[in-house]
Parts: sequence; C-alpha cells; structure tokens
Amino acid sequence: MAKETFEANSVLGIDIGSNNTRAILFDVVEDSYHFIASGIAPSSHGEPYFDIGQGVFESILRLQETTGRMLLDNDGNLLIPSRVGGEGVDRFVVTISCSSFLKIVTFGLLNDVSLSAVNKLAYSIYGKVVESIGINDRRPQSVQLDAVLAAEPDLILFAGGTDDGASRSILRMSGLIANILEIMHPARRPRILYCGNAKLGKRISDGFSRLTQVKVTRNIHPTIDDEVLEPALKDLDEMVLDMQQKKLGGLDRMAPLCSTPPIHSNQGFHDVIRFLGRQYDPAKGVLAIDIGGTHSVAAYANHNFSTLHTLGYGLGTGISSIAEKSEIKNLMMWLDGTRSEEEVMDYLWQRSLYPNSIASNQSDLDLELAATRHILRLIMNDLDLRGALPSNRFEPILISGSALNRTITPEQSLLVILDGVQPLGICPLILDKHGMLPLLGAAGRLDPLLPVQVLESTAFTNLASVINAVSNAKPGSVIMQARLVYANGSYIDAEIKQGSIISLPLASGEAGELQLKMLRRTVIEEVNIYNEPFMVRGGVCGVVIDARGRPLRLPENAEKRRELFHNWKFMLGGK
Amino acid sequence: MHAQMTHVHPLVFIRRNRTLPVPGVVTVRTGQKVSPMDVIAEVEIPTRHYLVDVYRSLGLKTPADAEKLIDRKPGDLLQKNDIIAETGGMFSRVIRTPGPGKIVSISGGRVLIEAESRKVTKTAGMSGLVTEIIEERGAVVETSGTLIQGVWGNMQSGSGGLVIQQETVDGELLPSAIGLNVRRAVLVAGFCKSPEALQAAAAAEVSGIILGTISASILPVAEAQPYPIIVLGGFGRFGLDPISKKLLISSSGREAAVNAVKWDRLTGERPEIIISLPSDGEPYPVEVEYEAGQIVRVHASDHLGKVGTVQKIIPGLTRLPNGLRANAAAVKFEDGEMSVVPLANLDVLHMTSEFLGPTDEGG
Repeated sequence: MAKETFEANSVLGIDIGSNNTRAILFDVVEDSYHFIASGIAPSSHGEPYFDIGQGVFESILRLQETTGRMLLDNDGNLLIPSRVGGEGVDRFVVTISCSSFLKIVTFGLLNDVSLSAVNKLAYSIYGKVVESIGINDRRPQSVQLDAVLAAEPDLILFAGGTDDGASRSILRMSGLIANILEIMHPARRPRILYCGNAKLGKRISDGFSRLTQVKVTRNIHPTIDDEVLEPALKDLDEMVLDMQQKKLGGLDRMAPLCSTPPIHSNQGFHDVIRFLGRQYDPAKGVLAIDIGGTHSVAAYANHNFSTLHTLGYGLGTGISSIAEKSEIKNLMMWLDGTRSEEEVMDYLWQRSLYPNSIASNQSDLDLELAATRHILRLIMNDLDLRGALPSNRFEPILISGSALNRTITPEQSLLVILDGVQPLGICPLILDKHGMLPLLGAAGRLDPLLPVQVLESTAFTNLASVINAVSNAKPGSVIMQARLVYANGSYIDAEIKQGSIISLPLASGEAGELQLKMLRRTVIEEVNIYNEPFMVRGGVCGVVIDARGRPLRLPENAEKRRELFHNWKFMLGGK
Repeated sequence: MHAQMTHVHPLVFIRRNRTLPVPGVVTVRTGQKVSPMDVIAEVEIPTRHYLVDVYRSLGLKTPADAEKLIDRKPGDLLQKNDIIAETGGMFSRVIRTPGPGKIVSISGGRVLIEAESRKVTKTAGMSGLVTEIIEERGAVVETSGTLIQGVWGNMQSGSGGLVIQQETVDGELLPSAIGLNVRRAVLVAGFCKSPEALQAAAAAEVSGIILGTISASILPVAEAQPYPIIVLGGFGRFGLDPISKKLLISSSGREAAVNAVKWDRLTGERPEIIISLPSDGEPYPVEVEYEAGQIVRVHASDHLGKVGTVQKIIPGLTRLPNGLRANAAAVKFEDGEMSVVPLANLDVLHMTSEFLGPTDEGG
C-alpha cells in the first residue's frame, strides 16, 4: 500500500485488561504502519495499587526492554511526542476492559421490539442484564419495583415507543422508574439512558434529572421496522466510561495524555470487526471472539450488519461461571476422563482465585484448553440464542485471548478454536496472539490507515484455511478426494474420511488451488459451488479439512474420547 | 514484578474500615472499645412495597384529581385496610391499604407504601478501638494481633474461642468431629468435603470454621450456613499450609474473629482471621517484589499448596515441563525438594521471620 501516512508515525497503545496490561507499539516502516512489539504486565487497578499506573508503567518498561527504544524519561513519564533521536512516541491510545461488570435493568414496551432492542444495547457493554421489564410483564408493578430494588442496578436503559408514537405507556413506566429512584439512597441511584420516543425525551429528562443523572439519546426504534442502535451505543459507551473513569484509579491522570479519548476495549474490537466485515465475502461475515479474564467479547459483522456482545465467561475470575455443577458435565466431555468432576471443579475454582496462574504440567494445560473450548461453545450458543449470527459461515474467524497464547503449538490453538466454534463452510482462522484488535480500533480513530496496514502485515497468525465438510456417511468412509496444487505446479492428493481432520501443507501466506471431489452427499457450503478448483491461502497449519461433522459428537466413554483426541492431534501432525 | 501476597502474621498492627454498602446510622463513637460482634453501623433496607394506583383504580381524569382525594402524607404509618383515599358523597368509593406499612411517596396519583425492610448491620469484626468515624457509613477500627488472610468466605462473620482438634487440623472435617465442646467455638480443619459436617456444625452452634481447603462441590452448602466459614488455601484436598497451621495451633483457646467475606481484588477486601493481642504490633507492607528468601505458597498447578523458600528469581523466561514459558523462581520446599515454579503461581506468605522455625511440630 503506497498511500502516505500522516506525519506522526509511532503510536503507543495500552490495553488495560482485568488480568493484564499490554503495551503495543506501532510504527511506520517503509511507508506503512507495522506492529513493532508488545510488553505485558499484570494489571494494577485492584489491590494493592488501586491505580492503573503501575501496570501501564511495567508494561511499557517491558516494551522498552524488547525494543531497546526509550519510551519513558528518567522520571517515568511518557515521552510524547517523539524526540529527534527516536525516543518516545507520537501518539498514545488507551483501551480499557478491567472494569467491574455493571448491573443493568432494561425497560421497554413490546418484548419483540423495544425491549429486544434495548437488551441488545445492554449486551454490548461490560455488564449484565439483571432485570428486564416490558408492558407484557404480568407481575404487579409493586413486584417489578421490588425486583429492581433487589437487583441494585448501576444503570437503567429505558426504551419504547416509535417517534411520535406511544407515550402513555412510556410515561406510566417512567412513573415506576421514578418510584424506584425515590426509594433508593441518592448515592446508590442508577444512571439512566433514555432511548425511546424522541418526543418525550425532554419530559423524561426533566422528570428524572432531579433524582439522578439522565442522558437522552436517539430512539433505537424510531419506526416499528427500523432498529438504529449505533447512536445510542456511542452515548451509552461514553456514559459507562464516565461512570468507570471515576472508579478507576489513575485513568483521569492518563486520559489527558491520550491522542483520542480512552475507549472500552470491546468498542475498539467492534470497530475493527465492522471494518473487516465490509472487506470480506458479503455472503458470509467476520466473527471475532476475545476470551478475557472476567468476560469475553464476540463481534460479528458483514457488509450491512454488525453486532457486539459482551459475555460473562472468562478464564480468570469469570471461570467460576463454568465451574457450576450444571456446566461441569459438558466441560468434562472435552477431557479424557483422567480427572474426576470434583477435581475439575476444584481446579476451576482455584483458577478463579488466581486468574494469572499458569498451568505448569500437561494435564492442567489440557484442562484449561478444555475450559476454553467449553467457553467458546457457550459463547456460540448464547450468540445463537440472541439471534446474533445470520449463519455459521464466517470469513475469517479471528480469535484472541491469553488462553490461546498459552498453547504450545499452533495445531493446539487450531483444534481448540474448531472444537469450540464449530464453523461451517470455508473459513480462514486467524489468531490475534498479541491481543491488539481493541487497540487497532482505538488507533483507527486517529488514523484509519493504521488498522488497515497492520491487518495486512504479519502481526496476526494465520493458522489455516479450514474447509469444514459435513456428511451423513459412516465414520471412516471416504467422503471427499482433495488435490492441492501448488504455485509451481506440483500437487498433493488426499482422501478425506468421515470423522477425520487433516492438514495439507501450504506455507503461511502462499496460495494454492484446491480441487475437491465430493462423495456421499458431502456438503461444504449451503450451495455446492466447489466442483471447480478454488484458491486457498496457507497458514501455519497449512490447509485443514475438517470432516468430523457438525455438531461434533463426542463419545460418552472416556477411553474412546481419549483415543479420538489423540487421533485428531496425530492427524494434524501433533504428538 | 510485584508479588501476590497473603498476610500471615503472628503480631501486627491492623487497621480496617468497617462500612455499610449504603449510607445508614453509625452506632459507635471515636475512642470506643469494640468486640468483634459489636454493631458499628446499621441501616434499614426496604425490600417489599405496595403501589396503590388511586388514579386508575378510581378511574379519575387526572393524577391531580387522585391526589386531591388522598388523605395521607409520606411517612404515615398504615394498618391493613386503612383508607388511603375516598371519593366522598352518597356512594363513596374508597381505596384501602393492602397491608400494613409506611407511605414512602405520593405522586402521579399513586401511593407507594413500604411494607417490609431488612436491617443490614456492619460489625467490628475484631476486638479493637474505634479511631475514626466515617459519616453515615461506619468507622475505622484498629487493633494489634495475629492476622491470617484467606481466599474464600461464605459471607458470614463471627467470633469464638479457637478449638484445635488434632485429628481434624491435619485431615478432613467429618461429622464425628462435631462434639458438644464446639458450641460457640471456632473450629480448625485441614479440609472439608462433607456437607453433613457443615450442617452438624450449624446444629452444634459453632461460631465459625477455619479450613485449609474445601471441595468446590460443597460450596452451595457452605454458603447456606449461618456461621462463618473461611478457607485459607483454596479448593481441593491439600489442606492447611504448615505456617498458618502452626500459628493457629499456637493461638488455641484465644478469641478469633472470622470475617468470611468474598475476596474482592477491586476493593482489596479479603477474608481474614484476626486474633487481637495485648501487645503492640507494627504495620505490615502492602506490596513487595518477588525476591530470594521469601516464604511462598504455591497456589496453582504443580506443588499446589506446598510452602517453600525462594532460592532465586530466574532471569528471563523459563521453559516449564509442559513447554510453556514463564517468569519463574527456584523454590526449595520444606521436604527438601527443589523445583522451578512460575512466579504467577506463587503467593508470598508475608510474615515476620522470627516466627519461622520447624513447622512440623505440633501438627
């Protein structure tokens, strides 16, 4: 890409997560932005520092050690802008995901219209909907009121009515909200975001402002057919950030240094996925999942639609949500039976106490990878339940999170992602091993070229192009013949058996031509368009053909599972 | 790299803020001596309401019309069936209270009545002196004594004499260990996976249980108990670490305050045992870096629950047995074994060194 970049070259990004703080340096190399290096340190927003500064400082120190480039002066201050000698950076961006989960109560009118839309709004932020009330709620208002009080919300999202539409129901509901606020102590009252009938905006604002902070944003359902979340999403994010800025020690000190105001990591993540969604196959969509410590983020985007979901599953403190008995049985299916349910529960609970701990033996690592698979399954199920995904065909799938950086081989990462997401069709799998997607989104607000150019670079690990084949044939029967033709004309043939997963060697970034001959009614895409050869790109695991079926069925018998897991690993070249 | 710490001190100065989650009434004064269960502050939190819609019930034209008919004001106490509003006239219609309560507000033609509330209290959580009042919230309490921090609690607090039973301190807490002598006592056990034992302890009216570890499978039972349960090491069967065990044994018979809160890293609140002593202790540091000579406890993966001494911090990244790479330390465990342990898996047991010595005695 030969376009000129702006004069400020280097950008330092800091992502403050619930467990770790990352410092990532981008700079211009040969007219194009590149990822230079990253430094990571434990986050310090909690005990004993209660200030994000220590984690930021340590992460920058590690970045300095890696790059040999001075970013801090002798007093520990960030050198910004950069000096003639190359010390320091020109721009500075911050993303945050370390805040505690907000408790959200949503109010709307019709379940399928405004209540559904306002819940989507709530799903996008670091929070949990603890109570949701619509006009079809059959509980008496006094019971609704007590339910909201018991939920102790931090935030109320209030929607309903098309512009110039229903007003009486909205006003009645606002009376209930006012009653709730009156009962609560002023210091504990939730803030309110009103995103309903625009005509009532001022009246609602005037009514509530004597009780709490209220913000009126664009109606998320201006007409019965139109759902417009974007403006409300932006206002909501600003509101939440303002709430958290007051709680997060050190952010008020750091914010003035930023070249663009700090944003939530999930918003930066969403920005990048929205951008990518417009670049790829319009028939599919880009899926990205970040598995964090206390929560996970999933974003999906295609040419004309995008959605963002923040879910309470994580591999740190968030792991307790999967350590409940009801979930353990499902998680156990990803293990080979050498550990009891009790041991697994104990391990996960212990992990929730010490979210930065490291599995130092293979058995514990296997358990953590099983937990990662299970979390990915839960995320996919939740997205499905929320109607967030138009289809299970993605191009590409981007995954980030420290759990997958802790795998030993790319094949391990690949298997975890395929087992967890279980995509259909043909999809490239990309690993964001540096966890930079949120920062690319934030930096993109400064210069849209930066994410574009970094995404084109080798900063991400292209694991493989995966062809997911589905057939009803018996396990072990040949369902497909494949020929991968290399650029030099040589080729490799393979017979694909039902239940297998194989890798055809093709170096990362190299292109090859794949010819597939389908047997036994094998399907790859909804429409079988692959009778003709098609181009594929290699990854560190080559080109992978996954014929294990969808959904993956795992044997109840632990011995058989052990054998199966071993076979999958072996077929992908593992030991 | 800053170290994960668990404070285990025979004698230190302890200062704690004891505050309500919402504003309330502070019931102590500066300079007052308090016991662990003394109430520092309290508040009534409304939990159940009636919402009487006079405007709609009487089918009036406006809410203002309804408010003219309501012959009550906020703060009024009502009995069941008391009249809230009546239309008057020959065929007067009346609206009565559905149950007893107190009027919270009257607006929009609706009367909001508080029917039930629950009292939330904050106790001192240790024997000590109130040194500062935090307006509407609580107070600062100070003492000197033994401090042992834990990792999990069932959200209860209590205090009682520390009872050490040889067979349970090293092993599992079983129902058979709950005898008549445990009433009002704080029991100590290595680990527990028996829900029956926890239930028997409730029936025997224990004041608290201190566990080295607990099986995660009995957490719902542990959370349902009316007395505090504090876990010092975590989940599993690895039991009490020798240092905490020795300290607890040496405190046998003393009054122990058990604050079995959940560990909240964002606020710094942590479950802990405080045994106030009649000597002056020094404040303890809140942050340290990992360094050679520290006493550490392994809280994850290999060597889980073992205590040892850091021999050296290994520079750079170290390859672990499973192939992962991490910052690590060489640790010599009490049984003489030397091993490399990721720093992320170490908890510095911060304690005064004079307490150290052979830890296998008395256990």
